[in-house]
Amino acid sequence: MKLVWKLLRRHISLPQFAGFFFANLLGMLIVLLSLQVYRDVKPIFSEEDGFIRPDYLILSKRISALNAIGLGSVNTFSEREIRELESQPFAKRVGAFTASKYKVSCSMGIDGVAQIGTEMFFESVPDAFVDVDLKKWHFSEGDDFVPIIVPKTYLAIYNFGFAQSQNLPKLSEGVVGMVEMTIAMRGNGRNEYIKGRVIGFSTRLNTILAPESFIRWSNERYAPEAEAEPSRIILEVSNPADDAIVNYINGKGYEMEDDKLDAGRMTFFLRLVSGIVMLVGLLISLLSFYILMLSIYLLVEKNTEKMRTLLLIGYSPARVALPYQLLTIGMNAAVLLITACMLCWLRTLYLQRLHTVFPQMTAGSVWAALLLGVALFVIISLANALIIRRRINRIWNNKS
Amino acid sequence: MNSIVLDNTLPNVFLGRGDTKSDIWRQQVTLEKGKTYLVEASSGTGKSSLCSFIIGYRKDFDGSILFDGTDSRKLHTSDWTQLRQRHISMLFQELRLFPELTAMENVEIKNSLTGFKTRKEIEGWFQALGIADKMQSPVRLLSFGQQQRVAMIRALVQPFDFLLADEPISHLDETNSRVMAAIMMEEAHRQGAGIVTTSIGKHMDLPYDKTLCL
Repeated sequence: MKLVWKLLRRHISLPQFAGFFFANLLGMLIVLLSLQVYRDVKPIFSEEDGFIRPDYLILSKRISALNAIGLGSVNTFSEREIRELESQPFAKRVGAFTASKYKVSCSMGIDGVAQIGTEMFFESVPDAFVDVDLKKWHFSEGDDFVPIIVPKTYLAIYNFGFAQSQNLPKLSEGVVGMVEMTIAMRGNGRNEYIKGRVIGFSTRLNTILAPESFIRWSNERYAPEAEAEPSRIILEVSNPADDAIVNYINGKGYEMEDDKLDAGRMTFFLRLVSGIVMLVGLLISLLSFYILMLSIYLLVEKNTEKMRTLLLIGYSPARVALPYQLLTIGMNAAVLLITACMLCWLRTLYLQRLHTVFPQMTAGSVWAALLLGVALFVIISLANALIIRRRINRIWNNKS
Repeated sequence: MNSIVLDNTLPNVFLGRGDTKSDIWRQQVTLEKGKTYLVEASSGTGKSSLCSFIIGYRKDFDGSILFDGTDSRKLHTSDWTQLRQRHISMLFQELRLFPELTAMENVEIKNSLTGFKTRKEIEGWFQALGIADKMQSPVRLLSFGQQQRVAMIRALVQPFDFLLADEPISHLDETNSRVMAAIMMEEAHRQGAGIVTTSIGKHMDLPYDKTLCL
């Protein structure tokens, strides 16, 4: 093998192989980095609170001055309107917000001593729209505990407004999660209590959320006669940047929580940009592959006679092909290794910067990019090995 | 392998010619293991073509060549590799040495494939053929006669049933060709192999069983 290598390494063009090496390195790095950046940055737009995904929109009807004094059109969604929305091509799923129709008040206390209390309300959306651990998110009749999700702004209002002015302790999310609330529900001649605890915070969804099963049960129990038409709708769309959505919603005079759409658009834009960048990287990789194959063709061409002699004195085509196959696979492996190291290094650089802007961000994992790198390595190496073997077979068959 | 049969064989380039007078072309010839053959020919009668057909380098011939009754056209790549490694050894007229390797490396590249001879045996042959001092020299710096001897040693470092030697002594003097003939015969005897040498005039002094005119 050593002697065969000594023979066949003649005519190896260092500049050509260096050209391939750096082109492939660049291509691979661009492909992997674009995927990695996409995966790291995406959560900033889409999973900031891990609660509602970006492809969900929340719709409501405009409240006019007439509504406010009890005149004008209703601001709830009728059965027909929901069905019409469901039938739109952009809509994947539609869910209604159901509000509690009875009086709710809540008091928080430590060691059974009530500290603060407030009038409040609940809303629910179908469980399928809730993106938290569903193990915690359930309620069935007879339970004496109800899980709650509250907007993050509530905590901010308490901490920076109320607690500060009243000399009360500031609360972290963790502490609030530990505090048990007593919820009083009044209506239909009943006055009953249930325990509740905050299991999650939402920065986007502006409501106090309870499980749908709880709202259904409690509405029936405390306000059986109240009409149950929803005033807000949650809509899952396949592509939030679709113009048809904006046109439809404006046409109907609905209102939409805008940042959702912006986040959706940003995600879409991010996907588009990283897709284009990845394509450019793949193109460079493809060209580098082409350079390598040209170099190998040239090399095989220059060493054809030697290879033919090796075959004639009893070397198999597989053994003659092996040195060049190992050479290309070795180079590809080196490219993969260096790319992986550079990727990790560049990633720490940009993650540092991102963390200063978005301190709460959780970066994606690096495995997907590495896996893609390994997949590219395998595909390119297999193609290299195959093409080299075919060239040797041509020599065997006396075709060159 | 015990026999090579040339059955009605003719190079394709001779197909148009009507007046083929030959002991081999268009004849049924059996080359047997253990026997020694001399193929005499003048230039252009297809001597090297015959060797190329047998070793499987070229297939542009009519008729067939049978190894122990198996048509050579039916052999697969792996069969040919086995055949070249263990059954038929060839000393090429154009030698086919690797100019960038030393004389010893040219032999070793074959011996590392077959693992047939020890380094000592190989050195003994270099000694006997009077090129021991050239073992570590790049083979391109050797004279053609010296290169012929290196090629011969390379042809012997494998097991074989037949040794094809295409003009093995064209550039050797009497003494060296006698030494080479002796080494060749000794190795062929040891292996019980047949020898087929070709010549266009000057030929090796061997106890030929049969002389064939091409």
